[in-house]
Amino acid sequence: MFLLAHGELPVANGGPTDVLFETDIKPLFEIKCGKCHRENERKGELDLSSMQGIYSGGETGDDLLTKDLDENALWHQIDSGDMPPAEEPALNPQEKDLIQRWLLAGSPSKTSTIKTRESNVHDVLPVLLLRCNSCHGPRLQQGGLDLRTRANMLKGGKSGPALIPGDPDNSLMVQRIESQACPPSKSLLKFFVRRPSSAEVKLLRDWITAKAPNGDLTPDVATTQPDPLVSQRDRQHWAFQPPQWPASGNSIDDFVGQKLAESGLTWSKPADRFTLIRRVYLDLLGLPPELNELQRWSTSTDRNWYPKMVEHVLASPRYGERWGRYWLDLAGYADSEGGTSADPLRAVAWKYRDYVIRAFNEDKPYNDFLMEQLAGDELLGQSQVSSVTNETVDKLVATGFLRMGIDETGSRTMNFVPERLKVVADALSVVSSGLMGLTMECARCHSHKYDPIPQRDYYRLKAVFQGALDEHDWSSFKQRKLNVATQEHQIRIAEINPPLEKQQKGLLARQKKIETDIRLDLLRHHHPEQSDQDNLTTLQALKKADNTRTLPEKQLVERLQKAEVLPDSEQPVSIIDSRIEAEQLKKQLHRLRQQMVPPQTIRALWDMGRPSPTYVLRRGEHDKPGTLVGPGVPTVLTNGKTPFQVTPLKAASQVGNHNTTGRRLAFASWLTRDDHPLTARVMVNRIFARHFGAGLASDLGNFGRQAEPPSHPQLLDWLALKFIQSGWSIKAMHRLMMNSRTYQQTSQVTDQHQQLDSQNRLLGRMPLQRLDAEALRDSLLFVSGRMSFASGGVPDAVSVDRDGLVSVYPSYSAPPSNDATPNQVSSNQPDLESSAKQSTRKLEQSQANSYWRRSIYLQYRRTEIATMMDTFDYPQMGPNCLDRPISTVSPQALMLLNDKHVHDLSLSFANRIMGIIESQKLDDQNRTRVNLVYQTAFSRPANENELELGDMTLSKLERDWQGDRTQALATYCHTIFNTAAFLYVD
Amino acid sequence: MASLPSTSRRDFFARTSDGLLGAALMHLMTDDLFADKPTSIQTKEGNDSHLGHIGNPYDLRPKPVHHPATATSVIQLFMNGGPSQMDLFDPKPDLAKLDGKPYPGSVEEIGNTSVTDIGVMMGGQYPIKRHGESGMWMADTLPHTSQMVDDICLINSMWTDHPNHDNALYKIHSGRLFMGYPTLGAWTAYGLGSENQNLPAYVVLGDPLGLPKNGTRNWTAGFLPPVYQGTPFRPTGSPILNLSKQYNQPTDVSATASELLKTLDKIHRSKRPHRQDLDARIESYGLAARMQLTANEALDLNRENAETLRLYGVGKANTDSYGKRCLMARRLVERGVRFVQIFLEEQPWDSHVDLRANHKAICERTDQPVAALLKDLKRTGLLDTTLVVWGGEFGRTPTSQRSGDIYTGRDHNMQAFSSWMAGGGVKGGLSYGKTDDFGHKAIENPVSVHDFHATILHMLGLHHQELFFRRSGLEERLTGVNVPTVVHDILA
Repeated sequence: MFLLAHGELPVANGGPTDVLFETDIKPLFEIKCGKCHRENERKGELDLSSMQGIYSGGETGDDLLTKDLDENALWHQIDSGDMPPAEEPALNPQEKDLIQRWLLAGSPSKTSTIKTRESNVHDVLPVLLLRCNSCHGPRLQQGGLDLRTRANMLKGGKSGPALIPGDPDNSLMVQRIESQACPPSKSLLKFFVRRPSSAEVKLLRDWITAKAPNGDLTPDVATTQPDPLVSQRDRQHWAFQPPQWPASGNSIDDFVGQKLAESGLTWSKPADRFTLIRRVYLDLLGLPPELNELQRWSTSTDRNWYPKMVEHVLASPRYGERWGRYWLDLAGYADSEGGTSADPLRAVAWKYRDYVIRAFNEDKPYNDFLMEQLAGDELLGQSQVSSVTNETVDKLVATGFLRMGIDETGSRTMNFVPERLKVVADALSVVSSGLMGLTMECARCHSHKYDPIPQRDYYRLKAVFQGALDEHDWSSFKQRKLNVATQEHQIRIAEINPPLEKQQKGLLARQKKIETDIRLDLLRHHHPEQSDQDNLTTLQALKKADNTRTLPEKQLVERLQKAEVLPDSEQPVSIIDSRIEAEQLKKQLHRLRQQMVPPQTIRALWDMGRPSPTYVLRRGEHDKPGTLVGPGVPTVLTNGKTPFQVTPLKAASQVGNHNTTGRRLAFASWLTRDDHPLTARVMVNRIFARHFGAGLASDLGNFGRQAEPPSHPQLLDWLALKFIQSGWSIKAMHRLMMNSRTYQQTSQVTDQHQQLDSQNRLLGRMPLQRLDAEALRDSLLFVSGRMSFASGGVPDAVSVDRDGLVSVYPSYSAPPSNDATPNQVSSNQPDLESSAKQSTRKLEQSQANSYWRRSIYLQYRRTEIATMMDTFDYPQMGPNCLDRPISTVSPQALMLLNDKHVHDLSLSFANRIMGIIESQKLDDQNRTRVNLVYQTAFSRPANENELELGDMTLSKLERDWQGDRTQALATYCHTIFNTAAFLYVD
Repeated sequence: MASLPSTSRRDFFARTSDGLLGAALMHLMTDDLFADKPTSIQTKEGNDSHLGHIGNPYDLRPKPVHHPATATSVIQLFMNGGPSQMDLFDPKPDLAKLDGKPYPGSVEEIGNTSVTDIGVMMGGQYPIKRHGESGMWMADTLPHTSQMVDDICLINSMWTDHPNHDNALYKIHSGRLFMGYPTLGAWTAYGLGSENQNLPAYVVLGDPLGLPKNGTRNWTAGFLPPVYQGTPFRPTGSPILNLSKQYNQPTDVSATASELLKTLDKIHRSKRPHRQDLDARIESYGLAARMQLTANEALDLNRENAETLRLYGVGKANTDSYGKRCLMARRLVERGVRFVQIFLEEQPWDSHVDLRANHKAICERTDQPVAALLKDLKRTGLLDTTLVVWGGEFGRTPTSQRSGDIYTGRDHNMQAFSSWMAGGGVKGGLSYGKTDDFGHKAIENPVSVHDFHATILHMLGLHHQELFFRRSGLEERLTGVNVPTVVHDILA
């Protein structure tokens, strides 16, 4: 095709016998394709009703009129039978043949010309952004040149104008690019730039040849005109309509009862009191009740004991540690960046974790909670308060929500535009599936197959975040942080940290020395023949990367490695002792770090006020720019004729002295509108799913047309509206749900329920739920009296042993104020003769008075997830997890049966039981012990059979342990840890 | 009382208060009262990830294939770091002619992110000859493998999408350049289950010296349920984490505790009708016990005769470690394990420096064991149904790389590398695909990583499009969105 002077293209007029568009093709397209591809409704952005429409093509940007049928995407779709889609009338062979002939003839038409798209600056800006922006953009203007606008290109830099309209050969920018002077070879990796392709250079040349027109292209945004890409029909789906108050029904039980009755079912019988107590505690706190609380509620004579208990439990600070964790899953929380092998730690991600826990404990209204996480920085800008308060810090920390995904862009080689786009895509995926219940990920590459989400809408949403997450103006995770703290915080840092830092320095030096000593010791012991020089060479080689060692160096290192992995029994005492010291040093260091006042650093996201233009990326490829778009929301969630209102703001002083785009604040305001079709529904459904084992809409992250419709649509709407009415109070939703009759049913499955509703979609019973990884680990620690309730702050480090077991460092905090403080653990260690084993015992005893914090406070480095968490289905965050899978596999059994830590906890549990008996001066019979174990572990007393069984077993175990009653009890407790009754909640 | 009719379970516990208690409990303690029937586990083909939490555990029971399989198991000999194709498999006389001269073209074509360390053209480092009836090329540093060339299908036209180890490793194992996606082994376990319920379906045999580059992510289940992730077997001591007790306890105690646990769980289960997930959990404890015996037996090389041990080079300084793992892999496959991966520590093939010596050393460690594995599988007939895959994450450049002031190694090359397969329905003696005159770029019959995966799945009886997992409304596949090509040319 060649260009005519006036941006018009000649069209083949065809001979008299030819197939013509107007007479033959247009009517056919109208009937068979017109439903979705006409002027006012353009699925995939394609209009087949005119030559102009077909010429303009669809979202893929393919040439649909090419005679080369192998390359013709229109023909591909028709020939393969993919279009029209299965539910529409197909094209018959004659019709297909007609279309084929028409295309092969060069698509003749009566229309004399087609208007070509007018050349404008956006033909070349995407290329310049990709290839030149690092040196001639917002961050740097090398040689005084800024290539972001046509005016600046003409103005040029020190060497003169970058372009001469109409004369590409003499335009400096073309010369520089073609001689490969730019981008400079040495800068390619420094700025993560690749050279423009020849096609891109041609684009630039063509544009300059055409006199470098600026054009007046405005970004594609929603207007007051109906949107041709999404129709009213598309909006009919229930989830895209705002929730409506149902005509009748005013409680959860009304809706559930009605559905049950329709199926000839009714509720199961109420659960007994002990079951309810255990259910409520584990549900809200992820921990069983303390013995005194169990006593209190199980013996209460108050008619309203149950709602009072719910209220009491909701007020516990442990609540935020349980329910905040669900939110962290949704956000994809991690303490490391991921991506590269090094998996660098995210030093202050925990501030976001603490923010979430606080928000849940305070019952922060959900709409505010979302506003802060999506646009905390812009909220601050709106209020323009200059002094730093806790609230200021909180709002900045909250934006960490958008930065939880895998981010490898701090790596030396992985910070190119595609990798940055992956970070952006992860944030968008968390927002769309987590907050809106929409799966927009597919629209990154093409319009959604099932839901009315055009590809354009994905990029409009991307534009919302462009002011902060700009792939052409990128800060890697290393630079993207703020130092903002209250004055009080700063003073504490200055007072407390310096001496601790000094201590740390000393310990680090000591640690380094020990590590060297161990290595030398290993070499001298296992390779006495090796020279001192070789030993030194080995140590030096360790400092080099493995792949840059010479063969002799590799061989030396391997000798050391082999010596290192020999079992303890083959190591001299000196090595064992040094290793114990090294381990203790590590713990001391960890302890010191915990005592430090946290740094001011905040891992935030903020608007820089200078967004690059956002283009649709055809097929999702970073170098295939399409339509220029502006910020917007999925049009299917609006009436399609309301512009997205964005007001630029002054940035908060903590962030900088510029204007922000205001886009995220506008988005957050839209998302939290009372009439938003999805926000409230998605959240109440999520809360419901945690309480009742499954959501009313079973797919928590997809409310689209492909998902199973909700089991109780009216209940879902009613809850959503109640949620908004309560001021978006999450705790109000807990009250509503937990005080229902439905929640207080037994989990027993009757034959009738099994037959009529085996999946329990009608909620005629409560589910039997397995504890998740956190609740299991926390329960084990809590029941054993080994839990520290110290909250917040630097996560508890883990260590990885040579077998790959990832275990958690204890936190050494003061024991909880509990009914009984555990005594010394009695540790049965038969025949510990060798000094090596004695050393091992020393190490064990050093752990005897250790406590561990709740699992939410562990360090979640992506490559080092604590083994117990991993074994019980702690998810990979990719980028987040909306619903954890539950697996039942033998490594879980192996963990609970054979793991040393779990076994140690059973010793603590036994000691705790004996401590209670002693302190309360109870009669120390086996039956007393059994009953206390049941109350502590299962939150109920043992019945007569269980007492009898327990008594007999304890006697037998006592004989097996040759009279050691403590060990007998510990083994009993260990078995209790392994029971289904401990792992499942009725 | 050998067994009670199952209908009376609940009655039984009701009756224990009427004076029969002592006897009944003694019985409970000593007899496997309710083991009258094998428990049935509710299974569900797991395409509906969102239903996972309602009580349909994902499991490893054998699943039907999509089409007849030629391979029932895979042994992947993963060569981490990127072996050099032009030195080992794909000789380039033109390269030798230009040895020491600059790259004839723009150095940026080499395809790596940095151009500052590019050295000069480097000819093949070893003598290389044709072998077997097929006349397949193989370097002198692989004297044992080269005896097996007529069973080997060598693909010289592999290519990948990233020149960095991390991303290229994600790609070769999971089909994606980023972390968090399920590996080929995980997809295989998900698609096929396991023939042996007493062993994991997907076993990883790591190097006793340490983890490979990218660590445990080389065998992750990604977003698939964790039951499909690779289980690392330790080569010494207890093979699986926590397989045996990590504390001391007399045998009698363990026996009593085990009886107590069974009793308590049976009581719990009997009060909860229709809860098959509880049976599955009880079963998982049974499997844990059986696994201890099976896994120890599977890895016990003392059961092999001296001739076999010698074949694999067990007991010889260089080959002992890798030889043992190859032999273990055969024993595992024999016992129905679906997918076995053998890794080397860190990335020994990554020879930026001293390539000639470093590659030779790693050949000396692996060549004999690898050839022994093929011979051994062949003589036992297992090679017919076992696919052996040898290769790394990418290849190496025709130019040397500057490291300090020495030019003795090669840099990463994503545009061409060699991998080979044997057994499991692949054409032996075939050299497939071609590279350019320098071995730098695949130019004939290029095989992408997706094609490579689709082909392996095909041999296993799985179709790459039909094997998917639904997540966030997307059907996730090993081979991604664009349809790959099964390389039928290499199938027998």
